[in-house]
Amino acid sequence: MHLPQHFSRRDFMRLASTSAASTALLANVKPVLAQSLTNFEKALLLYAIDVAMDAGADYADGRVIRTQFEAVGTREQRITQVQSTDSFGINVRALVGGSWGFSATQFFDREAISAMAREAVAVARANNAVAPSTTLLAPVDIYPDASWTTPHSIDPFSVSLDDKAALLLRANEEALRIDNIRFASSSILSVKEQRLVATSEGSFIDQTFLRINPAMNITAISDDGGDFQTRGATVEPAGRGYEYVLGLDLVGNASRWAEEAAMKLQAVSVDPGEWDLVLHPSNLWLTIHESIGHPTELDRALGYEANYAGTSFLHPPEEVLGNTRVGPDFMQFVGNRSEFGGCATTGWDDEAVPAESWPIIEDGIFVDYQTTRDQAAWIEAQTGITRSHGCAYGQNWESMPFQRMPNVSLMPGEQDLSEEDVIAATDRGIFIEGRGSYSIDQQRYNIQFAGQVFWEIRDGKKYQMLRDVAYVGRTPDFWNSMDVIGGDSTYFLGASFSDAKGQPMQVNAVSHGCPIALFRNIELINTA
Amino acid sequence: MAEAKGLPSSDLREISDRVLQLSEADQCRVRINSGWRGYTRVATNRITSAGGSNNTSVNITSVFGKRVATVDTNRLADDDLLQAVRRSEDMARLAPENPEYMAELSAQQYQQIQAYYPSTGELEPGTRAEAAAIAIRQAQNAGQIVASYMDVRAGTSSIATSNGLFASHSNTGVAYTLTSRTPDGLQSGWAGDEANDWSSIESQRVANDAVRKCRDWRKTALDPGEYTAILEPTAVGMLMMRMMNSFNQRTADEGRSYFSRPGGGNRIGETLFDGKVTIYSDPSYADAETAPFNGSGQALQRKVWVNAGRLEDLSRSRYWAAESAQDPLPGPANLIMQGGTDSLEEMIASTRRGVLLTRFWYIRGLNPRIISYTGLTRDGTFLIENGRITRPVTNFRFNQSLVSMLQNIEMLGPAVRVAASENSSVSAPIVVPALKVNGFNLSSVSGAI
Repeated sequence: MHLPQHFSRRDFMRLASTSAASTALLANVKPVLAQSLTNFEKALLLYAIDVAMDAGADYADGRVIRTQFEAVGTREQRITQVQSTDSFGINVRALVGGSWGFSATQFFDREAISAMAREAVAVARANNAVAPSTTLLAPVDIYPDASWTTPHSIDPFSVSLDDKAALLLRANEEALRIDNIRFASSSILSVKEQRLVATSEGSFIDQTFLRINPAMNITAISDDGGDFQTRGATVEPAGRGYEYVLGLDLVGNASRWAEEAAMKLQAVSVDPGEWDLVLHPSNLWLTIHESIGHPTELDRALGYEANYAGTSFLHPPEEVLGNTRVGPDFMQFVGNRSEFGGCATTGWDDEAVPAESWPIIEDGIFVDYQTTRDQAAWIEAQTGITRSHGCAYGQNWESMPFQRMPNVSLMPGEQDLSEEDVIAATDRGIFIEGRGSYSIDQQRYNIQFAGQVFWEIRDGKKYQMLRDVAYVGRTPDFWNSMDVIGGDSTYFLGASFSDAKGQPMQVNAVSHGCPIALFRNIELINTA
Repeated sequence: MAEAKGLPSSDLREISDRVLQLSEADQCRVRINSGWRGYTRVATNRITSAGGSNNTSVNITSVFGKRVATVDTNRLADDDLLQAVRRSEDMARLAPENPEYMAELSAQQYQQIQAYYPSTGELEPGTRAEAAAIAIRQAQNAGQIVASYMDVRAGTSSIATSNGLFASHSNTGVAYTLTSRTPDGLQSGWAGDEANDWSSIESQRVANDAVRKCRDWRKTALDPGEYTAILEPTAVGMLMMRMMNSFNQRTADEGRSYFSRPGGGNRIGETLFDGKVTIYSDPSYADAETAPFNGSGQALQRKVWVNAGRLEDLSRSRYWAAESAQDPLPGPANLIMQGGTDSLEEMIASTRRGVLLTRFWYIRGLNPRIISYTGLTRDGTFLIENGRITRPVTNFRFNQSLVSMLQNIEMLGPAVRVAASENSSVSAPIVVPALKVNGFNLSSVSGAI
């Protein structure tokens, strides 16, 4: 692991607690329910790799992936959705010369798999003929028989639909008790992803991932019917079991969220201009995702995503690495694939590289990107790092793996400042909770983020609710305006199930941890 | 005609029949998607990835009374299908009642729509690589670096119910988009095409346009503000595709839409937009065809949503239609905005001061009460002064109500199919004109290139 020098032991323990080497130490780990992948599928995966190598690949890797979704959706006292999805297939990625080819099939028989593997090699060969290129794969240790499972107590797929629906309907009921609340919808999306990864170098990894996404949205309508306001619940997806949902107290919190939705009808429309902002982690994580997570993707910085996701203000690597100030001295961002509860937490990535943690921004200076095996060499001269940071991921069996975002988290301050401490540090500011509308340009400079709930702060205290708020800025200016950072007790993991990148577009689930933080003199607009 | 990609309709019928025979539920619906997707991707003037996959997935909805559950699987063996049927039934038995459930449809009458183009269904990796090679050469000759994407889909979908409905439909689609940049990262240009029929894609022209835009665009300063804006068709399409979900009667009746009437009800029948605005959907629109049925088997037909600025109708589910004693009206599967006769050159020539916009990026909703969105301009933004383009200018963030935009239209070009999805995948067909609009709100400068 590459860890910043000033990491506290507490930070280290959080990041290391689920890393591949330490899973045996975890309590409460139970195997997931049946339907695990069989030796039959394992043998076919090895066969596919052999066929690809026999067909002339210089290197090949492959995956058997089974993805199961279960969605329960409600509105008011009604069930709107009970759905389960099961998608299962196998793929091979082959390297010929410096070019990749990829193929996938849903049919688990030797004939189909042989044809698939040969197709991947043929496509790689054809691509290399049209535009030859060079690809260097970073060294990696070999793991011939490794496994990993998301730490959890309760497999979400073992909880009955009735129980899930009852919880959601109870939460809706609580919300609907509040005056002016006319609509309440809620849902739980559970994901189980079983992945075998094999490489022609001899690694073989068997992993099972659990992720869960509870959500709630409440709508208030004004007495005269002329206005409506919504409040999305402050709950986040996580790479955890169902115990996480039970711990959220959806029913207990629904009244507060509903009251705030109703209060928004009466809230004062914000005066645009410069304000101090206190950003709750439920808001700040998305700003981190967009303005720090994406611009530190190496493929993006080098133009590989130019036709869709865009490029990066952090380029070219040889000029920006190690000498670009992105924020204040106390700002530390860590990329990691091992944070407890993270949606991008794993044991190994799709190239059989073990999970690790590494600094991306150290003391406010940009020091490293997110990488895969074919990218590490591109910046080795600047970083001195020869190995991949383990960021390869393909969304399902049909998708070729490529560089995807790990959990990218802002470390809490050395001093354990509370939410109240941070609010007290401004005379005139706005406290923002929850994610709202969000948008950022294709190089990740121009940001505009809204939220769910806005409180005006006067003389260090919450004063009144505001509405129609969005903050705007330029990424480095925004982060350099961070003046006060909360402590470990305010640290919170926000997440998305739908981070989009690539063509064909693939989604990735990713989390971002952060404490509460105060930003000075940020421009606000009124969105009404 | 060559055989369509994916399983033929007869196989889909056989699988559907098998599932319906296995079903022990009161009612059952089977939807199957079977098809192929191929792609070729270029970046840094080389092909970085190319591939393809076939997939057939079976979506089974089982119903007991008003208890409903759906299972989707891509395992097609008899045992697997049996397991999926039983699982959907087990889930349905456990599920609480859904009072909004409406009985499965019986056999329906649909339009015959030919939406499968063999030119697309047979688009091989070699042809895709040739198009990529043309773009790479074009960019290299201009000293530029190209990133491109070709997305190809071909397949058949079907719907069957235990009440006697079976229908299937074959469709193809191809999107080709290209971004060309200079090695110093200071210039960028984009162009793209989308069609059901590969022979409608002008891959050479797309490469030419992107390279030209890149050559012409190197940003200079311009203040944010409200401008007369000429939106190229792609830019219009990226905004108008957001209108598709707005045409919903239930959210209007419930008081949470721009189309809500204060005090209750909706605004059907009111003139809400400029008289030049006519918006409709049509599953048989040439080279923007869609299936003639939706996911619950309702027939789709040509439907005018806005006629000369007047809101003609809003979509309503079968449940909401029953609640409001109306006929159901399924939502649009494509969107067509009627064009005019003004050319882009005429729009520019008639503009004293304004901006020309190529496309947008990261469009997100702001305020549903005025259907407002934020987003950014990208890959070709130019200043127009005294009837001609005078210089390329910086990109901007916009904060714009689509209602206000559709109330302030000055000129319209001919309607064309555009690649309106930000990720350039084949999407619901969008056919729109270039527009000249007044008071387009470019709210802040974006430093991005």
